[in-house]
Amino acid sequence: METKKVAEIAVSAGEILLSNGAEAYRVEETISKICNSYGLTGDCISNLTGIFISITGPDGEMVTSIRRIRQRRVDLYRVELINSFSRGLMENPVSYEEAKRILGDITNAPSFNLGIRLMAASMTSFVYTLFFKGTVPDAIIALVISLGVYFILQKIDEVGFFQFLQYFLSGLLIGALSVLIQHLFPIIHKDNVITGAIIVLLPGVSLTNGIKDILYGDYVSGLAQFGEAMLIIIAMSAGIVTALSLFMKWM
Amino acid sequence: MLQQTVLAFFGSIFPVILFNIDRRKILWAGFCGAIGWIIYSLVSANTNSPIFSSFFGALTVGIYSESMARILKTPTFEFLIPGIFPLVPGMIAYKTLRYIVENNMSSAFSSGTQTLAVGGAIGFGIMLSTTIFKFISRIQKNRKK
Repeated sequence: METKKVAEIAVSAGEILLSNGAEAYRVEETISKICNSYGLTGDCISNLTGIFISITGPDGEMVTSIRRIRQRRVDLYRVELINSFSRGLMENPVSYEEAKRILGDITNAPSFNLGIRLMAASMTSFVYTLFFKGTVPDAIIALVISLGVYFILQKIDEVGFFQFLQYFLSGLLIGALSVLIQHLFPIIHKDNVITGAIIVLLPGVSLTNGIKDILYGDYVSGLAQFGEAMLIIIAMSAGIVTALSLFMKWM
Repeated sequence: MLQQTVLAFFGSIFPVILFNIDRRKILWAGFCGAIGWIIYSLVSANTNSPIFSSFFGALTVGIYSESMARILKTPTFEFLIPGIFPLVPGMIAYKTLRYIVENNMSSAFSSGTQTLAVGGAIGFGIMLSTTIFKFISRIQKNRKK
């Protein structure tokens, strides 16, 4: 196969991986696996925001390709599909058209619809409010708040990249609603409601991926992941603290 | 404790639905959280230290995820991410914020430090299990050559 076509397959696979929340070392490994299965050697550098690859063909011709990743979300299923795609290529290097078709299928793979995700987000808060020793009424309030907050997060996500605004608003909403509801119904404990509701917003993926990237020697993307996690935590805390301080002033 | 373990099981299942996990692996992710929590509470009952317990909980989650990833041939983080959810120090982290709002800085400092220590212990537990598994598989690979 032509070197150019291998480069295109490799960089598309890498793009799917990186934009669905895979670690940098996994992207680099997958790309060099794909190149190897077509009998070429390729070098790849991947960090949190882009992929650079360079492949040397049999006649000494070099192909370089760059892809910038802007929107990222977490989708473990697509990462897994690409993983098995690259493992399959090692045994059976398929043709260019076939590989393109498989990658297209992976991009359009099914994901849970908004209804199920809303249910999962609100149930997460329900479970964790009980887990942190809250009462059942607390858990129900956390469930409702988390439902609204997750819906707003998704809607802002569709507009574009507004990470700080998203998490600040969510923190503010969680704090304000919990305080307000505690004021109206004194049997509700705002502390339990808030701890249950913020669990959905925690940047668990960024933190674990950051640890793994650093362990594999990818300091650039590892520290970038930690930076992202810190930003999310700070934005969320700022929102909650703002809501609580305003409440203390007014009531 | 049984009730908490069941809650930890569901507390690992619901977050992974948000991350669009493969439907056949949802149950395995739930077991990861439950096992991690059992070890956490066992260590916690004996040592009474949240930092130690978090470390051993995270270590268990790491070992479970690495082994399951090799058995089911999937990326490790499908089990790692849901597994650490029950160990996250959400309660102490929130307390820190509340002390800051109440302008009680010495309490905020002590609970903030505790949050960081627990977070670091979880990170250390994952690091240890990942490196050990990677080291072993690298040795096996080198032997085959």
